[in-house]
Amino acid sequence: MTELNQIDLRALAAGSKRTWDAFVVATTPLINAVIRRALATYRLSEDDVMDAAQDVFVRLCANDFRLLKTYDPARAGLSTWLAVVSRSAAVDYARRRRQATTPIDDVPETALAVEDRHVEKLKIPEGLLTERQTLILKCLYDEERDVVEVAQLLKIDAQTVRSTHHKALLRLREYFRGEAP
Amino acid sequence: MSTERTPLSDKDLWRSLATDRVAPTAVSEMEFAAWLEGQLGEADAARIDAAVSANPELRRAALELSDILGKPLPAPPPRMAVRAQALVGFDVEKRAGRGSWLAGLLPAFGQGFALQRGALAGMTIVVAAVGFMLGGGLGESYATQKYASAQPAGVTLSKPLGRDTTNELNDLFADAT
Repeated sequence: MTELNQIDLRALAAGSKRTWDAFVVATTPLINAVIRRALATYRLSEDDVMDAAQDVFVRLCANDFRLLKTYDPARAGLSTWLAVVSRSAAVDYARRRRQATTPIDDVPETALAVEDRHVEKLKIPEGLLTERQTLILKCLYDEERDVVEVAQLLKIDAQTVRSTHHKALLRLREYFRGEAP
Repeated sequence: MSTERTPLSDKDLWRSLATDRVAPTAVSEMEFAAWLEGQLGEADAARIDAAVSANPELRRAALELSDILGKPLPAPPPRMAVRAQALVGFDVEKRAGRGSWLAGLLPAFGQGFALQRGALAGMTIVVAAVGFMLGGGLGESYATQKYASAQPAGVTLSKPLGRDTTNELNDLFADAT
């Protein structure tokens, strides 16, 4: 079986049937996995998974491989880019088909919480936290992910996530000490 | 009774705060992929960090994809690949499709299949029209009918139009002898 990094992208964009076939064989496992995960919350059928995967391949080869030609190997790996494209196509497909339904146990607590509009939240001043610190706190608390998952997402050590989290909270506590949130 | 506040946990502290509503930033698929791989420079990475922070859908996509890309992948159903492979045609078929002799006479229109078919239809009409004109057209047919209707009943016309020179030639040969 041809590996994804062995695919001749020029031949592929030129419409070579042999290269396309090898490309399909090499990418189908990834596209299949991304589509299944993205459609899991929509509870669609196996046929829908097949159709959504076909949508991804149609996008890639449509208009003389226009989308595929936008891929830049200097910026990211082909598999990562394909995963992003596949997820985007799957979500579009699912939205066309039906509304998402998520088991209540899978929904983060924050998404279910009813906000008490009488309690005015204190605003974090601009620049107090870096974008990275905010993102880590959102992943940990809003998405309820653990440190290892966040580290994997950001391609950093788990220890770096802990340390960034710690520094962010120190800043917040220091700033809001007088405000008593 | 103590008036001291119980210190908030880290999670409760975070939830008691409001982050700025950042206007959604457009993130291209290429940029998002580069960010997922940690390939962006500091400034670009911070811009995508902000976009992912502000957009829960983008955040979920990031977490989901990072999880999938870090794990072994299950085998897909075989028909998924078969259907996808059928999307791009065979080179041999493409060559054979261009091979009709009449199409070969036409100038190359590249991918303009409809234009080529249109030109073929035009050529067919021209050939038919020329054939019709050579055959005498409607004028001869009309004259034949008109002449036939002017003849008394019972007379059969083998060659009603034009001059019949048969007798003239007979006379000529008779004079010569």
